Amino acid sequence: MGRRLRDWATHLALWTACLICVYPLLRIIAVSLRPGDRIISTDLSLIPAGATAASYASVLGGTHFLLWLWNSLVVTCTTAFIGVCLASTAGYAFSRFKFPGSRLGLTLLLGTQMIPAAMLLLPLFLMIMKLGLTNTYLGVIIAYSVSSLPFSIWILKGYYDTIPRSLEEAALVDGTSRFGAFWRVVLPLSTPALAIAFLFNFTQAWNEYLVARVVLTDALRYTWTLGLFELQGQYLTQWGMFAAASLMVTVPVLLVFLYSSKWLISGLTLGGVKG
Amino acid sequence: MMTSMLQVLQFVALIAAFVALLELYLHVHFAHHDERWFLPASVTVVAGLAALLGRSLVLGVSAAIVEAAVALFFIHVVRGRHSLPFMLLAPGLLGLGLLIVYPLCFEVYLAFTDLKLTTILQWSRTGTLPFVGFKQFVKVFTSSPLSEVTFWRLVLRTVGWTVVNVGLHVAGGFVLALLLNRDIRGRGIYRTFLVIPWAMPQVVAVLALRGEFHSQFGFVNVMLARLGLAPVEWLTLHPFLTCTLINVWLGIPFMMVIILGGLQSISRHYYDAAAIDGASAFQQLRHITLPLLKPVLAPAVTLGCVWTFNNINVIYLVTGQAGGTEDADILVSALYKAAFTYYRYSYSAAFAIVISLILLGASLLWMRFSKGTESVYG
Repeated sequence: MGRRLRDWATHLALWTACLICVYPLLRIIAVSLRPGDRIISTDLSLIPAGATAASYASVLGGTHFLLWLWNSLVVTCTTAFIGVCLASTAGYAFSRFKFPGSRLGLTLLLGTQMIPAAMLLLPLFLMIMKLGLTNTYLGVIIAYSVSSLPFSIWILKGYYDTIPRSLEEAALVDGTSRFGAFWRVVLPLSTPALAIAFLFNFTQAWNEYLVARVVLTDALRYTWTLGLFELQGQYLTQWGMFAAASLMVTVPVLLVFLYSSKWLISGLTLGGVKG
Repeated sequence: MMTSMLQVLQFVALIAAFVALLELYLHVHFAHHDERWFLPASVTVVAGLAALLGRSLVLGVSAAIVEAAVALFFIHVVRGRHSLPFMLLAPGLLGLGLLIVYPLCFEVYLAFTDLKLTTILQWSRTGTLPFVGFKQFVKVFTSSPLSEVTFWRLVLRTVGWTVVNVGLHVAGGFVLALLLNRDIRGRGIYRTFLVIPWAMPQVVAVLALRGEFHSQFGFVNVMLARLGLAPVEWLTLHPFLTCTLINVWLGIPFMMVIILGGLQSISRHYYDAAAIDGASAFQQLRHITLPLLKPVLAPAVTLGCVWTFNNINVIYLVTGQAGGTEDADILVSALYKAAFTYYRYSYSAAFAIVISLILLGASLLWMRFSKGTESVYG
């Protein structure tokens, strides 16, 4: 008797939780579809009366939204590329070699995660300013490039640890160098982990707001996060455009996340447990 | 746009060239340290390059001295050992050194000088700043980092923020994970929907939720009005509560996923054995689930505390605009605003050092405490 009741209660609780999780997203959709004269209203319906795509058209045509997306894309891809290149070799060194400072180095890498972002940002900003790199892609790229490095190194080290050494030993017997064994055997086998590290770097930089706020002040250089903040404004005057832009950014990110979450989570636990 | 793209490509090429040069330098030092020509050749080349590039004799001489020391270190201490790991690590270490270690050292220097909006021109012209001793540190404790809120209030609020948020994250995540771990239909679909707050870009989520707390048109107050209740001025009168609600919504899915992973790794047999011995559901939770979850939960809680302590995003995005309130600020968000809204650079550097010492102290305490409980549970 208790069993069916319990199942029903479980479903009910999970349904409520799901609704709370999804509802803000549904609201964004609803607001983005509102017609121009009813954008600010107390209406709660999910498909508003007279739904149109006008907000989408005006955000694409009337603002720099596409440019902001492009700026984000350039910055993010460069950052993630540099980050993965640096992490792939460093992670291998930590995974396969015992050298003076290897344990300390790994611990210090974790320690960097404790540093408050605002603390690092201040001297970085002053350096960027002194180099004359404010309002350029380079300024943001430099500030982003190593921020995800420690975590990427941990992920990749954890993955390399799971690759049997006998594969490299076989390659060594066949006459490759130690580096050749890494380059031709281990690295190709690690494509999934490299992809995760890239994705992690990518999402970190893609969703970043605080550094960009400080380094980029010219609206033509904004990343999309800055642009979105601008669109929302203080009094909801452009709520429809904000919602349309939000949705266009969120949907691809959601899909990528849902697709990759299994990998990402296994990467998280691998890096954490194998320490 | 094209020129900035070119700039980016040039930058990447520059980094690649630099890394190649670095690796060449290391290779020579690792592989040829016992050749007779090594010391004179390396000193000559480095000193010559430095003098040529810097166009100054002083630079050349100092480069020669440094390089001689490095070369002697490679000859007598390193002796070619561990060459591959260090060559693999070198680019990453250099990046971390330039963009984390050096800035931190610069920050310490900054904290003992006086850099603010009125002295920044002098600094960019001459590169030097007046030394002021511990003045900035005294100011951290005596004056407000923003306009009204005091340092001690910020400390208290940060502690409250961290405890409440992490507590609710773990509690919410634990309940949801327990529900999801039951043998019911549609678990995968529920799980997918439940991670949406984590998967959404945080900026979108926070800004959208801030809209929903709008006093007149936001969902929350519209709902209250329909229920016949008075509207609440969330953003102006209760910003801290608003930020907490938003951050709890954002943080539960992460804990849920971590805890669910832990739950699924606990073997059914424990529960079967306990059921045979007549243990109640609560006893099973207390004596099987919680102890076996501890290895997963402890690092997740530690990480959660550090993230929550350091969380500027939510608070800044909700209250950061001009005329924003200070009633929700915690230490780090006040630091961000002091540096980049009030342009008090040196003060912020001292403030940042104080904050990181607080964090360090708290984590040392936490480590001792968790060691202590470990020995109790054995």
